[in-house]
Formats: sequence, C-alpha cells, structure tokens
Amino acid sequence: MPDNAELLRLENLQVRFPMQSSAIDSILGRPKRVVRAVDGIDLNIARGEIVALVGESGSGKTTVGRIITKLVQPTGGRLLFDGTDMTMAHGVSGLRPYRHRVQMIFQDAYQALNPRHTVFDAVAEPLRSLGLVENHDQLTERVSESLSAAGLKPPEEFFARFPHELSGGQRQRVVVAGALGVRPELIVADEPVSMLDVSIRAQLLQALIDLREKYSLALLFITHDLPLAWLIADRIAVMYLGKVVEMGSADDITLKASHPYTLALRDATPKLHNEAGRGGVQALQGEVPSAARVPSGCRFHPRCPLAFERCRVEEPPAIAVGPQHTSACWLAK
Amino acid sequence: MSKINVLSRSRLRARAISGFLRHFIGHGGAQLGLVCLGFFLAVAAMPDTLVGPLETAITATGDFLAPPSRLHYLGTDEVGRDVLNLVVHGARISLTIALLATVISLVVGTTVGITAGYFGGLADVCLMRVTDFFFVVPSFVLALVITPVALEAMGAGGEILGFRPSLFVIIVVIGLTSWAFVARVIRSQTLSLKERTFIDRARVAGSSNTSIMLRHILPNLVPQVAANGALVVANAIYIETSLSFLGLGDPLQPSWGTLLSLAQRSGAASVGAWWYLGAPGVCVLTVSLAFVLIGNALDDTFNPRRRVIP
Repeated sequence: MPDNAELLRLENLQVRFPMQSSAIDSILGRPKRVVRAVDGIDLNIARGEIVALVGESGSGKTTVGRIITKLVQPTGGRLLFDGTDMTMAHGVSGLRPYRHRVQMIFQDAYQALNPRHTVFDAVAEPLRSLGLVENHDQLTERVSESLSAAGLKPPEEFFARFPHELSGGQRQRVVVAGALGVRPELIVADEPVSMLDVSIRAQLLQALIDLREKYSLALLFITHDLPLAWLIADRIAVMYLGKVVEMGSADDITLKASHPYTLALRDATPKLHNEAGRGGVQALQGEVPSAARVPSGCRFHPRCPLAFERCRVEEPPAIAVGPQHTSACWLAK
Repeated sequence: MSKINVLSRSRLRARAISGFLRHFIGHGGAQLGLVCLGFFLAVAAMPDTLVGPLETAITATGDFLAPPSRLHYLGTDEVGRDVLNLVVHGARISLTIALLATVISLVVGTTVGITAGYFGGLADVCLMRVTDFFFVVPSFVLALVITPVALEAMGAGGEILGFRPSLFVIIVVIGLTSWAFVARVIRSQTLSLKERTFIDRARVAGSSNTSIMLRHILPNLVPQVAANGALVVANAIYIETSLSFLGLGDPLQPSWGTLLSLAQRSGAASVGAWWYLGAPGVCVLTVSLAFVLIGNALDDTFNPRRRVIP
C-alpha cells in the first residue's frame, strides 16, 4: 500500500522531436516543425503506489514510460527520483544505480526477448550487468526466485528454453521476472497485458498486484484500457496528445470523471450489462490529431462535444475538482 | 539441478542444429556445393600423399606440353611438369588465400558495420565514408598498387606457417579490399536490429554498449555473416586468381591463378594445350560456384520466415 513517501516526480516534462524540414520550407524561412510527443507532464508516484497512465495510441503515454526508464532523453522539465534530479543522467555506468531501482516491463514480450537467449540468460542479464550477484550459484538462486515470483514454476524447467518455445503468457512472465530480479522500487509496465488472452491477463495482473503487496513495489501501469486501469490502479492519469487532462483516484476517474475526454473514453468501453442494451457504445468522433499540429487552446476542442469559444483560444490549466482530483477543462468544477 | 539444466540445454541446441542442417542439406545446390567443396578441401589437405611433392623444372618428369596420357592425366606444362601435380598443390594455396582473406574481410566488415549501425551519428558518417572509399575504389587496382609495395617493405624471404610471406601480403590485400560489401550489409541489418525491443530491454537491464553489440546484435547477425561470407570467399578466389594471373603471385608457390598466368605466357592457348589452361580454370570455376551455391542455400535456410535458430 502507498505510504505517501514520494518516489518519482515529473515536473513539466517535455519531449519534442524536430521534424526534417523540406528544402522549400527552409528557403521560405518557415519555422522548423516539432513533434510534441510529451508536452509538459506533471506526475508523481508514491512508494508502493500503482498509477495508471491511460490514453489512446499517439497520446504519448509510452514516451512517458520511456523517459522514466531513461530510454528517451527529455527536452525540458525535470525528472526527480527519490529526491535526486535524474533528468540529465546518462551513460551506462552513470545510470546503473538508477537502473537498479527502476525497471520496465515491455508490451510485446516476443520482441522484448532476444530469440537467441535462453530464459535463464534473459532473466540473468540485468543481474549480471548491474553486478548484483557474486557467483554463479547466487545467480541461479536469484533467477529461480524471480521466475517463481513471476509464476513460472518449477523455474528449472524454463532455464534452457528459448522464447519461441514459450507461450505468450509465459514470455510475458519471463519479462516480468527479468524486471523483478533486480528488486526495483519502481516498475514501468507498458501495456503488459494487451498482447495476452483475457484469461492469462487476469493471472498476470493478479501476479503484479501480489508483487506490489509483497515487495511494496511502485508501478506505473501504461494502458489504453480504462476498466483495466480502474481494476489495478490506486490513481489514474488520463493523457491526451502529450498532456495529462485528468488525474485522480481510480474511483474519481471512473465514477466522477469531469473531463469530456475521460467521459468519452469511458463511454467507448463496451460493458456486459449496458442500460442501452447491446451496441450501446458511444464512439468518440475523429482521431487524435498529429503531435506535430497540436490544436490551439484546449487540445481536445476539435473533438469535444462541449467545446465553446474559450476552448479554441485559451488552454485550460489543471483545475482542482476534488481532493487529489484535477481536470484540465474550463467546465470542470 | 544444474546438471539437468546443462543437459537439456545441449539437447535443445542439438535439436535446433540438426533441424537447421536437415533443411540446409535439403537444398540441391547445397549438396552439390558441399560435395565440390569437400572434394577440393580433401585435395588441398594432403597434396603430397596424392601426387607427391610439388614438381619444379628440375624434378620435372614429362615431355614439354604433352597432352593428357596415362602417365600424366592432365598433361604437362612447358617445362615438363605434371599439370595434375601443379593443380593439386595450387588448390592448397588458392583455398588458403581465399579462406584467410575472407576471415579478415568478415572481421573488419562486421566490426565496422556493427559499430556504424549501432552508434549512428558521426561515427556512422565517418565509418561509412571510409567504407564508400573502399567500395568505389576498384579493389583490383588498389591490390595491384599495394601488393608490390608491401612485398618490398616486408621482403619476400623466410616462411610463416609453411607459407612464404608474399602469400600473406596477398591475403591481407584481398581481405582489405573486400570488406566494404560486408560492412554495408551488416550495418543495414544492425540498423533494423537495434530498433528491436530486446535492445531497449538490455539497456534498461544496464548492459553496456559493447555487451549489447556482442551478446544481442552479433548472434542475430550470424545468418547474414555466414551467407555473405560464402559469397566473399567466391569473390576472394576470383581476385586472387586475377592478381596472380597479372603476375603478382609467387611462382614458388603456384596458385591456380599463377598456373593460368604461366600457361598464358607459355602460349598454351595458341599451341592448343587446352589441358594446361583448362585444368586450373575449371578448378577456379568449380570452387567459386560451390561457395556461391552454399551461400545461397545458407541465405535461404536462414530466411527469418522459416528460420530454426541454432
């Protein structure tokens, strides 16, 4: 359970990729276009807390995860981990202590495992690279322990297997075991179950929740699935086009949502017992605009059913609508 | 427990390798290539037992430019040496040069290709411009310039591992002029491999760049290296033959190219001594073809859609 000690804090974090400008553009002196993948994010995660980051594809949620795991260098803002500024930390040896504390679970488990490495090698890699074990016996012990913790039992049976000999769920468990092996304080899980069958999904989610209880592990759970976020997370942050539009406790976001985008996401989710009967799904109109052309004013206004004049001109700040519940909408109160 | 682990791991490896071999051998081209190559390797391995020591003008036994007969299966040359004897000894020289030059070419090409592809940016630009230089410079002309200079600098006396130093100059020259192609192929493959998620995972796991290149990228390049390596050998045989034909070979260690050169200078073509020109020529052709066939079969077997990972 969260003990309120802050572990990770993102302050106005930005990632902008410059776009290749055409020769004509540079002759005409047009300004260089930039892709604003992440456009000023504030987020904090306490020890042992599960925070879900929800958004459509293209909302920049994966990039946030990659910034936290230092796979992408932010172009602005700050990244604080346990009070230390890690924004500019780089280099393999410079990041080693940080890697020991922050790990990642990847979306596509088949891609995330080297086809030429056995399960043992895959799980042992971080332990070896981070210098966490002294000899081979200790390594074997830690690998077995991580595999069992991730639900692969008996672990010895999996040591010599190659990824192509495992099922999708088993592969994802190997990736989870690799992240757990170093006993991190924070795991960034990027859509860890989106590739899995529904039945295996529940098992893996339960495993993650158990691990949080056991090791008081903080988790940033990146997903596009709002009900899933509600199920697993303590708090939910909803992202749209590089920005957090609404943030609050899991119940606040699902039951008392105030941002039209969150409402739209919620209504776009099929339910088994829908008042409107079968087919009662409200689809959100249009698509996420390109991050290279962020609309003026509120970035959601072109798709928003409630948009009015002010939304086109002025960008709404995060307005507090309840304790720990903010919404970036002019109509929020 | 660890014993079981080791056992089952080797069992899995063995199964994957046997699957790979079965598919590879299933190729008609690969069979033909392997048979030809096996034959020439056997010949190159024991020339003395097959045809006796290398004949010289002094130890020559036959008539001048005698056509094939029961005594000399492939006829004789202009000083009466047995052509079969020369060709068999030439196999050893030609194959040694080609294989060692390929090793150099693969090592340099793979190193440059991985480094350029993995690091990108300035390293990529610099390394690939150097590669471009070796790619567009006619390797043959470069070899023609380097070989005599290097021979002059090193001196042609002495022996290294039973071969004269001039042989090693040719090996290095061929190696250095044929790696550019390998570097390009490896670089492009590295560019696509480094975008794979398992490289990100290795980075999050705290692995160093060297370890990522050696433990993650290199093993996945084995198919490309193997398939291209076979083609590089074929190319190296051609370059070696051409260089020797132009007189850069060592007459005391005749390769097939040297034999062709001698045949041409003795006017074998004009007097109709087809055996003298034909024997080394057919050998060069067969061995090159064998390597090309093997290379193509490897390429096909490693095709990622039906690849079995050894």
